[in-house]
Amino acid sequence: MTKTIPGTPKRRELQKPANGEPMVVVNQLVKQFGKLRAIDNLTLNINAGETFGLIGPNGSGKTTLIRMLVGLILPTSGTIHVMNERMPSHKVASYIGYMTQLSALYLDLTARENMQFFCNVYGLRGKEQNKRIMEMLERVDLADRVNDVVGKFSGGMKQRLSLACALVHHPSIALLDEPTVGVDPELRRTFWDYFAQLNKDGVTIIVSTHQLDEASRCSRLGLMRNGELLAQDSPLELLRQSGQNDMEEAFLYYASREEVQK
Amino acid sequence: MNFSRMTALSSRIIRQIFRDKRTLVLIFIVPVVIMTLLYLVLTNTNSTHTLAIVPPSGRGSDRINSLITNLLPGKDKLNVLYINADQVNDTLTKGNADAAIIFPPDFTQQVFSGQNPSVQIVLEGSDPNVANAMHDLTESFTHQLGVALSALKAQQAQAGQGQALPPVLGGPLPFTVSDPQYLHGGPQYTFNDSIAPVFIAIFSFFFVFILTSIAFLRERSQGTIERVMASPMTRTELVIGYILGFMLFALVQSIMILLFVIYALRVHYSGNLALIFLITVLLTIGCINLGIFLSAFAQNEFQIVQFIPLVFGVQIFLSGVFWPIDQLPAILRPISYILPLTYANEALRAVMLKGADLADITRELIALFIFMVLMIILSALTMRRQIA
Repeated sequence: MTKTIPGTPKRRELQKPANGEPMVVVNQLVKQFGKLRAIDNLTLNINAGETFGLIGPNGSGKTTLIRMLVGLILPTSGTIHVMNERMPSHKVASYIGYMTQLSALYLDLTARENMQFFCNVYGLRGKEQNKRIMEMLERVDLADRVNDVVGKFSGGMKQRLSLACALVHHPSIALLDEPTVGVDPELRRTFWDYFAQLNKDGVTIIVSTHQLDEASRCSRLGLMRNGELLAQDSPLELLRQSGQNDMEEAFLYYASREEVQK
Repeated sequence: MNFSRMTALSSRIIRQIFRDKRTLVLIFIVPVVIMTLLYLVLTNTNSTHTLAIVPPSGRGSDRINSLITNLLPGKDKLNVLYINADQVNDTLTKGNADAAIIFPPDFTQQVFSGQNPSVQIVLEGSDPNVANAMHDLTESFTHQLGVALSALKAQQAQAGQGQALPPVLGGPLPFTVSDPQYLHGGPQYTFNDSIAPVFIAIFSFFFVFILTSIAFLRERSQGTIERVMASPMTRTELVIGYILGFMLFALVQSIMILLFVIYALRVHYSGNLALIFLITVLLTIGCINLGIFLSAFAQNEFQIVQFIPLVFGVQIFLSGVFWPIDQLPAILRPISYILPLTYANEALRAVMLKGADLADITRELIALFIFMVLMIILSALTMRRQIA
C-alpha cells in the first residue's frame, strides 16, 4: 500500500497496485446493442500510475468502454478486471472516480452542496471533507463560486466542477469522459499538469478526448474506431511506427491499415 | 446497506425541495387553496331553504302554533310554508320546500293529555347538503319545541292544581319525533365530511408522484444517476434514500391537511392519527416507486405530464372520491378495485369518520401493502433501464 493521503475515505479493502503494475485488464471485450456492435473484441492493458488516452471520433465506442470499465454496463462477452476484481464489482466502486460526458451535477444546489453530496456518498466526511472540497475547488478555479447555485454556471464552469466532484474522494483510478470540453486553453494546461501530478501519486487516469493535441500529454494512447482498438502505445511510438508527424495523420494511417487488413 | 449513504441522498433531496420555493408552495399551499375552494363550492350556505309545516289543527292549537312561529328561525334564514297534510309530497316533489314537519291534527290534545304524539319529518333529500342542513334544523327546532311544551305543561299543571311542579329540563319530551323520511336519497354524511379524508390521499399521491418522477427523470437526463450508480451506493440504498427524502414531505403535508380539515373546515373527526400515518406511509412508498417506474418511460418533463391523466385522472373518478364505488356502473367497478386510491380513501374515511381501528381496515391496508410491494418490484426492474 502506498502512503495514505489525507482525506481518503476509510475502510478501503483492496490492495492498490504499485505504479507500473496492471490496473485495468480488458480481455476480448464485446458489447452488442441490438444490431450495433459498440465494442468489438477489444483487448487492453492499463498500468497503475499512467494516463491512458482514448482517442477516436464520435461514436467510436469511447464512452461505452468507459462506462463498462466503471461497471455501469455489462459486457456481452469478454472480461474486465479493475484492481484484480472482475467488473462489475461493488468493491471497486469506492476506488473509482468517474466524470461523465454530461456535467452530471445537481443544478439546483450550490457548488459546495454538490461536492458535499458526492463526498458523503463516497464516505468522505467531517473536517477532511471541507478541506478536500476547498482544495479541489481552488484547483479548478471555482473557490470564489463555492456558494453559487450550479444552474447559473457556464458550460466550462460546470465541466470544472464536474471534474472536482470526480476527484474529490482521492480515487485510485479516475475515468474522465472528455474532461476538457469547453475549458479554456490556459486552464486545460493546468488540468493536464494536475493529471501528471496525480500519476506521480499513483493515480491511474483514463481519459477520452477527440482533441488530438492533448494526446501527446498521455503516457499511452488507445486509438479507437467503430468499437475496435486500432493501436495502443505511447504517443511517440505511435508516431514513429506510422512514420507521421502529427497524431491526426497517425490516426488516419492506423485506420487505413485496419481497412486493408480486412 | 449503508445508512449514511442513504441519509446523504435523502438530505440532498430535502435540500433540493427546500431550495425550490415553488415546489414548497405546490406541496403545502396549493392543497389548502384547493380544499378551501372545493369547500366553498360544495357548501352553498348562502341560499335560504324552505320548510313546510303541517300545523296541528285541533281545538286549542292556536297557542301551540304561535309557539311554533316564535321558535322558528327568522325569515332571513328560513322560509316557512304552511300546508295541509295531503299537500306534503306534492310540495316537496315540486321543490317548493326542502323539508316538511307534520304535526298530527290533534297534537295539542295529545300533548296535554300525556299521550305522547308522534311528529313526522320528511326530507326532500336529493341534495345531500340541503338535506343535512334541514335535518339539523328540524332536529333542533323540534327539540326546542319539546322543551317549551314541557315548560308550558308544567305551568298549566301548576295553575290547575295550585302546586309547584318545576319543568324538568332534559326530561322526556312530551312528543316523539319519528325517524325522518327521505323522499330521495337517504341519511348520509355531508359531502364535505365524506370528501375531506380523501384529500390526504389525493394530495400526497399527486405531489409525491410528480416530484419523484421528475426528480428521477432529471437525475437521468442530467447524468447524475450514472455518477451515483458508479459510486458505492447500491440500488436499494438509492430507492430507500428517495423514499426517506420524500416521506418527510408527504407526512408533513398529511398533518397539515388533517389540521386544516379538522380546524378550518370543521369536519367531523374521530380518528387515530397513527393509523392515518400508516395509510399515508404505505401509499407514499408505493407512489414514490410508481414515480421511479414511470419516469423510465419518459424522456422529458412533458412526457411525465402526459402520465398525469392516466395515473391520476382515472383514480379521481373511479376511486370513490366524489361518487361511492357501489354507485358506479358495473363495468367500471372492477377497475375501481385495482386502484390504490380506492383503498386509501376507504381506509381514511373509515378511520377519520367512523373511528375505525386497525382491525376494521385490515383489508384496505393489505391492498395498499400489495400495491407498495408491486411498485417496489417494478421500480427495481426498471432501475437497470434507467442507467443503461
